[in-house]
Amino acid sequence: MFEYALSVMIFLPILSGLVLLLSPVSKGAARLVGFLVSVVILLLGVEIFLGFTGTGGMEYVQNRPWVESLGISYGLGVDGISLLVLMAATVLFPMVFSVLKTQSKGYYANLLITQGAMIGAICATDLVLFYIFWEIMLLPIFFMIGLYGGENRLSATLKITIYTIAGSLLMLAALIYVGVSYHAQFGKWTFDIVQLAALDLSGGWAILAFIMFMIAFAIKTPLFPFHTWLPDAYTEAPTAATFVLSAIMAKIGVYGVIRFVVPVFEIEFARFAILLSLAGVTGMIYCGLAAISQKDMKRMLAFSSASHMGIIALGVFCMNVQALTGTLFQIAAHATSTGVLFLFVGLMEERMKTRDIDDLGGIAYKAPIFATFFAITMLASVGLPGTSGFIGEFLIILGAIKFNAFIGVLAGTALVIGVCYMLWMFQRVFFEKSNARTVEFQDLSTSELLTFLPVILLIVAMGIFPQAFIKKIEPAAQQQVAKVFAMTQAQVADTKVPNPGHNNHKN
Amino acid sequence: MEHTANYIGLIPLFPLIGALVLGLMHMLTCTNEKPLSEKLYGTLACIGPVLSFFLALVVFFHLKGLPAPERFLTHDAFTWFAVGDLHVNMGFLADPLSSLMLLFVTFIGSLIHIYSVGYMSEDQNFGKFFAYLNLFLGSMLILVLGSGPVVMFVGWEGVGLCSYLLISFYSEDTDNVLAGNKAFIVNRIGDLGFVLGMSFLFWAIGSGGFDYLSLKENAHNLTPTIGIVVCLLLFVGACGKSAQIPLYVWLPDAMAGPTPVSALIHAATMVTAGVYMVARFSFIYAHVPFAGSIVAWVGILTALLAAIFGMFQRDIKKILAYSTVSQLGYMFAGVGIAAYSAGIFHVFTHAFFKALLFLGAGSVIYALHHEQDIWKMGGLKEKLPKTYGCMVIGALALAGVPPFSGFFSKDEILFSALASGHTGIWFIGVLVAGMTAYYTFRMIFVVFHGTPRDQESFDHAHEPPSVMTLPLIILAIGAAFTGVLNLPGIFGGSLAVSHWLAPSLTEHHPHVSAWLEFFGIVASVAAVAVGLTIAYKKFGKGADEPEYTGFAKFGFNKFYVDEIYNAILVQPYKAFGAVISRFIEPNVTDIHVKFSTWLYKKAGSAFKSFQVGYIRVYAIYMIIGLSLMSLFLSQSIN
Amino acid sequence: MIQDYLTLSVILFCIGILGVISRRNVFTVFMSIELMLNAANLAFIAFSRLHESMDGHVLAMMVMAVAAAECALGLAVVILLHKHKGNLDTNVFSLLKG
Repeated sequence: MFEYALSVMIFLPILSGLVLLLSPVSKGAARLVGFLVSVVILLLGVEIFLGFTGTGGMEYVQNRPWVESLGISYGLGVDGISLLVLMAATVLFPMVFSVLKTQSKGYYANLLITQGAMIGAICATDLVLFYIFWEIMLLPIFFMIGLYGGENRLSATLKITIYTIAGSLLMLAALIYVGVSYHAQFGKWTFDIVQLAALDLSGGWAILAFIMFMIAFAIKTPLFPFHTWLPDAYTEAPTAATFVLSAIMAKIGVYGVIRFVVPVFEIEFARFAILLSLAGVTGMIYCGLAAISQKDMKRMLAFSSASHMGIIALGVFCMNVQALTGTLFQIAAHATSTGVLFLFVGLMEERMKTRDIDDLGGIAYKAPIFATFFAITMLASVGLPGTSGFIGEFLIILGAIKFNAFIGVLAGTALVIGVCYMLWMFQRVFFEKSNARTVEFQDLSTSELLTFLPVILLIVAMGIFPQAFIKKIEPAAQQQVAKVFAMTQAQVADTKVPNPGHNNHKN
Repeated sequence: MEHTANYIGLIPLFPLIGALVLGLMHMLTCTNEKPLSEKLYGTLACIGPVLSFFLALVVFFHLKGLPAPERFLTHDAFTWFAVGDLHVNMGFLADPLSSLMLLFVTFIGSLIHIYSVGYMSEDQNFGKFFAYLNLFLGSMLILVLGSGPVVMFVGWEGVGLCSYLLISFYSEDTDNVLAGNKAFIVNRIGDLGFVLGMSFLFWAIGSGGFDYLSLKENAHNLTPTIGIVVCLLLFVGACGKSAQIPLYVWLPDAMAGPTPVSALIHAATMVTAGVYMVARFSFIYAHVPFAGSIVAWVGILTALLAAIFGMFQRDIKKILAYSTVSQLGYMFAGVGIAAYSAGIFHVFTHAFFKALLFLGAGSVIYALHHEQDIWKMGGLKEKLPKTYGCMVIGALALAGVPPFSGFFSKDEILFSALASGHTGIWFIGVLVAGMTAYYTFRMIFVVFHGTPRDQESFDHAHEPPSVMTLPLIILAIGAAFTGVLNLPGIFGGSLAVSHWLAPSLTEHHPHVSAWLEFFGIVASVAAVAVGLTIAYKKFGKGADEPEYTGFAKFGFNKFYVDEIYNAILVQPYKAFGAVISRFIEPNVTDIHVKFSTWLYKKAGSAFKSFQVGYIRVYAIYMIIGLSLMSLFLSQSIN
Repeated sequence: MIQDYLTLSVILFCIGILGVISRRNVFTVFMSIELMLNAANLAFIAFSRLHESMDGHVLAMMVMAVAAAECALGLAVVILLHKHKGNLDTNVFSLLKG
C-alpha cells in the first residue's frame, strides 16, 4: 500500500501548490490546504519511519526508466542516510502552516512546492533526478524572499540566487562529466548512484569535477568560505523561508555530499578530507564569533546556524562511523532546534514588530511557557545532554578526535562558543527588566502551545532515547564508511605495491 | 564481581519527577493572580529528595551486606546510543564511592530543601526555585550514579545548567544574570576538557565497553602519553566544575544566587563533582603520577590563592565562597597525590560544615533583611544564639580544630602529602590551614562579637523559624562528629571510611612511622592556633574595617584576576566577534564573490565599448560576421 | 553569361551595403536595403535561368512580397520615429549605446 508513498510525498505538495497558485482561493483556504497536505505528508513520513527496517539498504524503492537513451531513470528510495533528512523535511512542516498566519496565498503555495521538491531531492537515487529537484526547490525560496521578505530583500534574493545557481551549474557540469566517464568505462549510460559508485575516477579532471561538486554543496550547506549569502538571505527571508533554508535545505547540502560525492569520488574525498574538515571547523568558529556581535536576533541565529552547519559538515569529512552517524543524527536534531528557534523569533517579531535584541528584555516574566520552550530549544542548540543536540555533537567530536586530534580539539570549542552568544542573547531578551515594548507580550496561545509541544517533546525524546533513531541510520553509515575505507585502502595498496597480485594477501 | 539492582535507577528519578511536576505547576500558574500555596510546593519539593535519601540508605545497607570485593550494584536502564564500537548504556553504578556520595548528597539535599521552605517563603518564584533545586538534585544523582563517563557527563552538564538557572534566579538584576552566564561559560570550558578527555579515552581503551568497570579492566592498555593527555583533559573538566586555577573565577560570583543554593550547589555537592571525578578515574590517575602531581599542585596553589583572597573579603558569602575554593584545593591536593579516600573524606566532611556555614550565613542574612556586608554586622550572638552556636561549630570544623570533623579529614590529606614525600604541598597545606583559621574566625568575630555596627538592623534581627534552625542543628551535629568515621590509627580508629571506599579506588596506603604522623598533627594544630589567635587579637573585641594597603590591597582586589581575564579574554573575544562581523565578513570572506562580480563588471565594460548605439555599426558587425561565416563555409565545402 | 548577371548582383548588393553603412538618413538606409534585396532577386532569377527551374522565380516573388510588407511596416516605424524626435538622422537614435 505504501510502495508509492515517496512519489505521493513529492508530487502531492507540488501539485497542490501549483493548483493553489492558479486558483483564486483566499489565503485562509490556502493555509488550510497547506496544513492538511503537510499533515498527510507527516503521516506518510511517520509511516515510512516506522516501517523502515534499517538494514542498511534502500527501502521503498521505485525505479522506472525515464530517458532511456541517456540512462536517466525515475529512481526513488530511502536508506539510513536519507531517513532522518526526510524526517526533518516532513515532520516539521505542519508547524509552519499552523503558526504563521499573516501571509498571502502565494506564500503557502510556495512552501508546499518547496517541500515537495526537497523530498524529491532527498529521495532521488538518480543523479539527474536529484539535480532537477535540487533546482526546483530553490525557485519557491527565491520567490518567497523576493516577494515577502524584509527591507533589503531584493539584494538578498539576488545574492542567494546567483550564488546557488553558480553552484548548480558547476554541479551540472560535474554531473555530465560523471555520466560521460561512466559511459567511457562501462559502455552504457546511467546516472543511478549505486552503479556510479563503481566508477574509478582519477586524474586532474576527476579532481576538478570533485571540486565542482563540492562547491555546489558547500554553497548550499554553507561551508566556510561560501557562507556569505547566508546572513543576508536568512535575515531578509520571511520566517517560513528561513525555517526551510536553515532546517532542511542546508542539510540537503550535507546530505548530497554523503549521498553523491563520497561514493563516486572516494579517493579525491579522502585526499581533500583534511582541508574540508578545516573549512568546517573554521566556519564553525568564525560564524560563532560573528554571532556574538549581532544586534538582530534573526541574524544572530543565522550565524549560529552557519556555525552548527560547519560542525555537521565536519562529521562527514572525518570518515568514521561515529562522526558520520553523528552528522546524520545532528541533521535531524539541528532541524528541530534551529528551525524552531527561527519560528520563535518569527513569533516574537509578529508580536513586537522588532527583532533588535537591545529593544527586548524580561519576556520570561510575561511569557513563562514561551520562555521555557525557547530555553529548551536553545539548550538543544548548544548541545546540552538530555536534549537532541548533545548526541550528534558528541559523536562528531568523538569521531573528529579519531580523525585528527587537532581538528577534534577545535571542533570541541563548539561547546564553548555556542554557549557564549546564546546565553548573552537569552539574558538580554528573556531576563533583565521588561520594558514598555515587552510588558504586553502575550504568552503562547493554546493552538501555538499545541503546535510547539510535540517538537519540544521530540527534542527531549531525541536526547533521551536516541537509539531509536540511531539504530536505523547506523548500519547505512557503517556500510558507507566501510566502502570508502575499502576503496581508499585499495588505492593505497595499488600505489605502494606495483604488482596487484599481492593485494589479496595484504587485505 | 557485580550485582544488578534495578531500584538504583529510581534514586535520580524521584527528584527529576519532582522537578517536572513543580516546573509544570509553576509554569502554568505563575501568571495567575493568585499563585499556588507555598505549602503545596514545599511538600512536593521535599518528597523527592527524602525518598532518594531513603533509597540511598537502602543502597548503603545492601552494599554493606555484600563481601567487600563484590560491592558493585549496577542497573542498565536502556541502551542510550550505540555506534560502531561505542556502546553507551543509560546505566547506573552504586559502589562504595558512589554510595558515600549518595548518602551525603541526598541527606544534605533534603535538609537544604527543608531549610529553603523557610528561607524562600514569600518569594514570587517559590515554585520555580524548588523545580530548579529538584532538577539539580536529580542531575547530581545522575552524575554520582552514572555507570560511565558519558552518563556522568549528563549529570555534569545538568548540574551546570541548574547552577546557571539558580545563580541568575533573581534575573531582573543584570549582575546576577552575568554571574550565571560566567558560571555556565566557564563550566563549559571545563566541559570541553571533559569531552575531549572522554574522546581520547574512548579511542584508547573504550572499545571494550565505555563504563567504569570495563575501563578499569582495560586501563593497563593505556599508553603513558595518552594517559597523561586523558588525565589532564579530564582535570580541565574538574577545574571548571570545582573552581580550580585558572577556572575558579565563577564561584565567588555565583554567590549571587539564593543562599540555600550557595550551600547546596556551590559548597556541598556540585563543586565537589570534580574531586569525585578524579577519584572515579583513580584507575587511570594511579598509573600516571605525573598528571596526579599536576592536579595536586594546582589544587594546593588554588587553596593558597583562595585563602589569601578570603582574608580580605567583606561579603559574608564571598568569604565562604573563597573558603570553598580553598578547601576544594585541599581535596585536589589529596586526590592528586593518590590519597583518593582522604580527598573524598574531605569532600564528605566539607559538605557538612560548609553547608552548615552557608545556611548559618543565610540565617544571618535573613535576619538582617538581605545584608551581606560583615562590616555592617556585629554583636549578633545575643540576637541569634542558635545560629551563633551552629556557626561556631562549623567554623571550628572548617578551621580544622580538633576534634571537629574538618581536622581529621584535612589532616589525613596533609599527612598523606607528608608521607608520600610531597613536602612542598604539605608545607603550603599547613600554611593554608593557619590562614583558614584566621579568615574563618575573622568572620565569626566580626559578625557575632563586639558591638553592633548598624544599630537599626540589629534591633530588628531575630532568630529565623525552626524550619530553618532545625537543619542547622542537624548539620552542626554532623560537622562536629563525622570526623570520627575515619579516625586514623594514632587516635585508636581504623580509617573506616577509607576501608569502605577501598573497592572503588586504586590507591596504596604508605606505611610510615607514628612519629611522622604525630609531627604532622602538631604542625597543623600549631598553625591553626596561630591563625585563631591573630584573628582574636585583631577582631575579637570588635574592630572596624582596616584600610588595605600594599599586599593587602592587592589581595582585597583579588589580584585583579577578574579584571585581567576581562581584559585579555572577554573583551578581545567580543572585539574579535565585532571585527569579524563588521570588517572581515563584508570585506574579506566575501573576496571570491567580490572578485567574481568585479570580473563580470570588467568584462562587461570591455564589451560595452562595442555597443556604440549606431545602427550602421551593428550592420558592419553583421556583415563582418556573415562574411566570416561564408568564408568558413566555402572553406569547408572545398 | 551567368557571371555578368552575378557580377551585377554583387555590385548592386555592395552598393546597398555601402548605403546602409555610410548614409545617416533613415530613408536612404531603407532604400539601400531594398537595393540589397533586389540584388538577391537578380541572383535568384539568374540562377533560375541557369538551372532551367522555376524555384528561383518563386523565391524572388517571395522576396518581393516580404519587401512590400517590410516597406509598409518600416515606413510606419519611420513616421513614428520622425514624430518622436523630429528628424530622421540615424545617429539620433542611439538608445542602445552601452
